[in-house]
Amino acid sequence: MSLTLQTLLIFAVAFFAYMHCYFGSTMWNRPIVVSTLVGAVLGDLTTGCMVGAMLELAFLGAVPIGDSNPPDMVSGAVIGTAYVVLQNTDIETAVALAIPVAALVAIFDNFLMMFVLPEAAHMCDRLADKADADKIDLVVRVASIGNKVALALIVALGFYFGIPVIERILASIPEFVIHAMDVVAGILPAIGVAILARNMMSKELAPWLMFGFLTTAYLNVPTFGIALYGIGVAMLFFFRKEEVLEGVDDNEF
Amino acid sequence: MSSNVKKITKKELNQVFLRSCTLDSGWNYERQQHINYCFTMIPVLKKLYSDDDEKMKRALHRHLEFMACTPHIVTLLAGITAAMEEENANNPSFDEQSISAVKTSLMGPMAGFGDSVFWGSLLTIAVGIGTSFASQGSILGPILFFLTINVPGFLSRYYGLKIGYDSGTAFFANMEKSGMINKLSKAATILGLLVVGSMAASQISITIPWVIEINGIVTPIQEYIDWIMPSFLPACAFVLIYWLLGKKIKTTTLLLWTFIVCIILSYFQIL
Repeated sequence: MSLTLQTLLIFAVAFFAYMHCYFGSTMWNRPIVVSTLVGAVLGDLTTGCMVGAMLELAFLGAVPIGDSNPPDMVSGAVIGTAYVVLQNTDIETAVALAIPVAALVAIFDNFLMMFVLPEAAHMCDRLADKADADKIDLVVRVASIGNKVALALIVALGFYFGIPVIERILASIPEFVIHAMDVVAGILPAIGVAILARNMMSKELAPWLMFGFLTTAYLNVPTFGIALYGIGVAMLFFFRKEEVLEGVDDNEF
Repeated sequence: MSSNVKKITKKELNQVFLRSCTLDSGWNYERQQHINYCFTMIPVLKKLYSDDDEKMKRALHRHLEFMACTPHIVTLLAGITAAMEEENANNPSFDEQSISAVKTSLMGPMAGFGDSVFWGSLLTIAVGIGTSFASQGSILGPILFFLTINVPGFLSRYYGLKIGYDSGTAFFANMEKSGMINKLSKAATILGLLVVGSMAASQISITIPWVIEINGIVTPIQEYIDWIMPSFLPACAFVLIYWLLGKKIKTTTLLLWTFIVCIILSYFQIL
């Protein structure tokens, strides 16, 4: 497959991924989906899936709540996965590549959201003065899709020019750093998991975290099993008649 | 009431449903999701105010105000505001300010609830399920991930609009009064915490490469640790990072330090 064709396919995947928030915030911009797609278009779906799982865990804490704008997972996942699939390297390499790429593209994305999209907003304000709803329609569509095209272009360009450069950099990295990447890949999920736990935690419900942990640690019940079991417990709570009046439950720690 | 009562039909509501899907795609630092919220409401506004430029102008400005809500449940708000706009179009004494007021007062609690359910619990559950299959190289991983988020996502988006429009403003107050929201939040949190706990045990992996030699028998220290408690080191890492997060350390800083510490530990062959 020629590099040009590959670049076009990479552009298509990146654009599709960024457009998730135009089609219902479906979260198909998450590495688990993006990496699989990159693997599929580059001819190795299985590796794509595996890289996706690893990156997904590395990026677990990256969620767009309120003002916090996380690293740009799409670019990280695309470049990281493409490199692993095309160069046949360890899947851990993807993490080492994805994190800096994601941080870099996030800066560009922030630039769009700080300076370019507000311009579109001001255009809408002016059109609202003229009660021109149809033009606002057009501006919103162009702005919403346009910023995703720009992002996908950056990713495609990075893929086209970047891989040989990235390859040279990686070849010069000493062995202990490569091993460190394996270690990092094992520990990084802890950050995401801890962020999620912190978002949900209250003293009252903390034991459930322990139950989940201990059941998997000692009995090796896979997470899917825990989720099914959890649905049962959640239903029990939801349908339970409140017998005792509860105190304030915002006792976070 | 006069015979030319303006009424929103199923057609407009369907358009609102489709357009609401774009909510996050024009996000900006100034007023966040506002241009897409206005975009979502436009079919309703055009139906109601096509003959009154002055009202149309005010309505457009109204919906270009600051908006921050969870995209998957924003239709509830869109439904409520659509009902209010309809009332405003037919009732000359209706206070237009109340539309903005309702919007502003509802988006906060809705986002709080929706973010924790969709970007918190549900994403966690989907990642947990998805990665457990995908790390084996199975395509079921991304598929299950996708379904776990989007079946609830689109159901709530669809019924949110219906419920919002049908019961108008009374809706959220009722939910809050009857404690349903609290219960739902709590049930989702329990499920989320169980899954997070399980993920901490299955996804974090740290092993120590040291060995001890007793009477010529070489035993890796890791084996002793596993006898005491399986996943002991992952638990330590989890607790440490959880604690650091509580110290208001930024995620990016934490990420960077993890890299640095791992490289140092790897250089001295500790990990």
